[in-house]
Amino acid sequence: MFQISTYFSLAYLVLLGITVVLCAVLPKNFRRLTLLFFSWLFFFSVSGKLMIYLILTIATVFNTAIWLSNVQKEQDTAAKDLDRETKKLIKAKYQRKQRGILALCGGINIALLLMLKYSPFAATNINTLLRLMGASYQIRVPSFIIPIGISFYTLQAVAYLFDVYRKKIQADPNPIRFALFMSFFPQIMEGPICRYSDTAYELWNLERVRFENLILGGERIIFGFMKKMVVADRLNMFINEVFTHYFLYDGFVNALAMVCYTLQLYMDFSGTMDVVIGSAQIFGIKMPENFQRPFFSVTISEFWKRWHITLGTWFKDYIFYPVTMSKPMKHMTSKARKKLGNHYGPLIAGGVSLFCVWICNGIWHGAGWHYIFFGMYHFALILGGNMLEPLAIKTAARLKINRKSLPYRVMQMARTTVLVCLGELFFRAHGLRAGLVMFKKIFTEFSLATLMNGSLFTLGMDIFDYYIIIVSVIMIFVISLLQEKGINLRQSLQKKNLAVQFTAVYALIMFIVIFGAYGQGYIPVDPIYAGF
Amino acid sequence: MKYVKRIVLSLVFIAGLCGLLLASSRIFVPKSNNKESGTEEVEANGILGERPKSVDGVVLGDSESYSAIIPLQLWKERGYTVYNCGTSGQTLDYSQVMLKRVFSRHKPKVVLMETNAIFRPISRSNMFYTMLCERFSIFRYHNRWKSIDIDGISDSVNYTWTDEWKGYRYSNLVNASSSEGYMSPSEEYADIPEANLDYLKSMKELCDENGTKMILVSTPSTVNWNYKRHNSMKEAAKALDLDYIDLNVEAKEIGIDWTKDTRDKGDHLNYSGAKKVTTYLGQYLQNTGLMKSHLGDPKYESWDAASNKFEDLISRQK
Repeated sequence: MFQISTYFSLAYLVLLGITVVLCAVLPKNFRRLTLLFFSWLFFFSVSGKLMIYLILTIATVFNTAIWLSNVQKEQDTAAKDLDRETKKLIKAKYQRKQRGILALCGGINIALLLMLKYSPFAATNINTLLRLMGASYQIRVPSFIIPIGISFYTLQAVAYLFDVYRKKIQADPNPIRFALFMSFFPQIMEGPICRYSDTAYELWNLERVRFENLILGGERIIFGFMKKMVVADRLNMFINEVFTHYFLYDGFVNALAMVCYTLQLYMDFSGTMDVVIGSAQIFGIKMPENFQRPFFSVTISEFWKRWHITLGTWFKDYIFYPVTMSKPMKHMTSKARKKLGNHYGPLIAGGVSLFCVWICNGIWHGAGWHYIFFGMYHFALILGGNMLEPLAIKTAARLKINRKSLPYRVMQMARTTVLVCLGELFFRAHGLRAGLVMFKKIFTEFSLATLMNGSLFTLGMDIFDYYIIIVSVIMIFVISLLQEKGINLRQSLQKKNLAVQFTAVYALIMFIVIFGAYGQGYIPVDPIYAGF
Repeated sequence: MKYVKRIVLSLVFIAGLCGLLLASSRIFVPKSNNKESGTEEVEANGILGERPKSVDGVVLGDSESYSAIIPLQLWKERGYTVYNCGTSGQTLDYSQVMLKRVFSRHKPKVVLMETNAIFRPISRSNMFYTMLCERFSIFRYHNRWKSIDIDGISDSVNYTWTDEWKGYRYSNLVNASSSEGYMSPSEEYADIPEANLDYLKSMKELCDENGTKMILVSTPSTVNWNYKRHNSMKEAAKALDLDYIDLNVEAKEIGIDWTKDTRDKGDHLNYSGAKKVTTYLGQYLQNTGLMKSHLGDPKYESWDAASNKFEDLISRQK
């Protein structure tokens, strides 16, 4: 419960409390410095000397953005009062220069990420290849300690650089403001991946802490604790046991572990986001949401618009669109449109872009073939969904099925959830081979024997653990349903009298205190996404 | 005025929360000290089920302590009522909790603190958690929601259970250790975490307040002990004005044979090693003159019964 270096630790809460108090009493100029100081203190306490990587990214990206901006100004000056053709030539020349700068700095940061995170995986695969080719030579497999949050802050930095390049934003001349945007402590470990235009100025012009924000943010933090400590951490022992010894268990246990892991991942990550966004809200910062009730999605495509939203939009803005809008792809689309029509024609270029997005998405989560498989699985589902959509519409029309009716939508939601769970099985499995064995077992060795003879309740979770998980999931489902209907529970609660407000918060706190998976018999579980 | 109202509201909220935590703590605290009631570390907490003020000596520490000191041997040989409150991986914050629990029921003459735990660092979070558990036991016993019943809610606390071996954990396994390099003299010092020295000081003060002598004991272990630790412990004992016995230095004199007396390659002693250590400690305790024999006292018949049972077990194991 109180392990240092997670958002669910006493250390974090103390740090947050001190920062909130200081930001409530200090003048504006000191507030921003205080926030930066405590953000760096937090990062240092988590990553120690690896903080140098964060500073390196901040320094390189900040200076490159200024450089890009200067080149853009030079271009404007050089093209001033010239004819159209000369302007075009100058633009092309400066574009090349800007791309070179972008490639240099973006390359350095991406290369750093690749080196730290993926070079052991690459070296292992090269060695396997060498072995298969009969070579006796093996390269050394490097080993690095990865600074926490590097996958998140690198993408945030690259997005900033691209936005400056695209002139969507101005390069920030203030290194402190930029450093604060990059390092804000509640988000540095697990995102959300913010855009400069979203949060940089809000952080810089930090308002004095307001009582209303303190209450609203605090309530959201408590809700996040509930998801993580009551559900996600409770599931951990069962999931660990089954995914480690999957070969010992039948298809039912493997299927249950798959569902439990999907639930754990959602509760863990969305719970962490509740703590992050709630913490930011206390400071008056509105962070972008990362989850929007993903299990209400009717398609896989929609699911990924509701799950880890900021990563999805990052891939969309900085991979999908640039690839789709590139000259060769545009050319391909116009040709294909003529031959295959308006639906299937654009799907070819879209498919290539989608492939790039999903290979990156898979690899972003970790260095392993099962992560690549996970990416390809979702690529196939989304592309397949797009290709089959006209057929599905036609079939539904012929069978006179109303695609907007509730039963049909519920069926779609259930189908999407099953497909997501299957993907998560491979995501969590100890390697692709283990994932395939587990998948096979679900269909070939399905038996309810463990449930009937009660041995299921000895695998890290007893029957009471299942009860409390079911109760918690029902609670969260009802809250999600209300949110889906546009009801903001926290704001509704604020309108009630004090007794009701106090009772609701007390109830939630006591629910965590009593039913939380902490203390004797439980091992604290680090937030899962912090490991990506 | 707005600020005053908000401060008052916040205080009311915190007070209400504390009230709730206290009330729920009363509900959740185990009403007995056996495993079924939900008590943690039942072997060590078995001391709470001993007749009040009947235990004259207490052992605190981690697994080194409960592997090395046999209370029922001390009873049989000397008539001393010693209870071993050692627990696996014990940290000094928990040693302090145990000591307070002991003083709430007994008036021991001697507390033997096994020193391996003194080198185990404790995170600030864990210290805070232990402190929180002491104030609001709901944090320690919250998991009892699985077994709590109506009677369990309304009953008053009544400790009745005790461990038949008085906290000692028997093992006759033999897994020999090499003693090469073990206790090679050194002028260096090992680090004792600052917080642990504070805990030690605080426990010593608690013992002083209760008229109890605290003695530091390092039981033999080739894995955990060395001369650097010996030097640090000696210095700390001197600074805190505590007696200190290092049985690693005395290992040869005690007769520890590392090919026979350890169950896990020198990490912990087995029964054979523990017997030798206990004999030595019995003599040491006698020399202090602090403890008296209760052999033949009808009030301590249960110790005779436990000792006979233990003897039976040992003879069967042989």
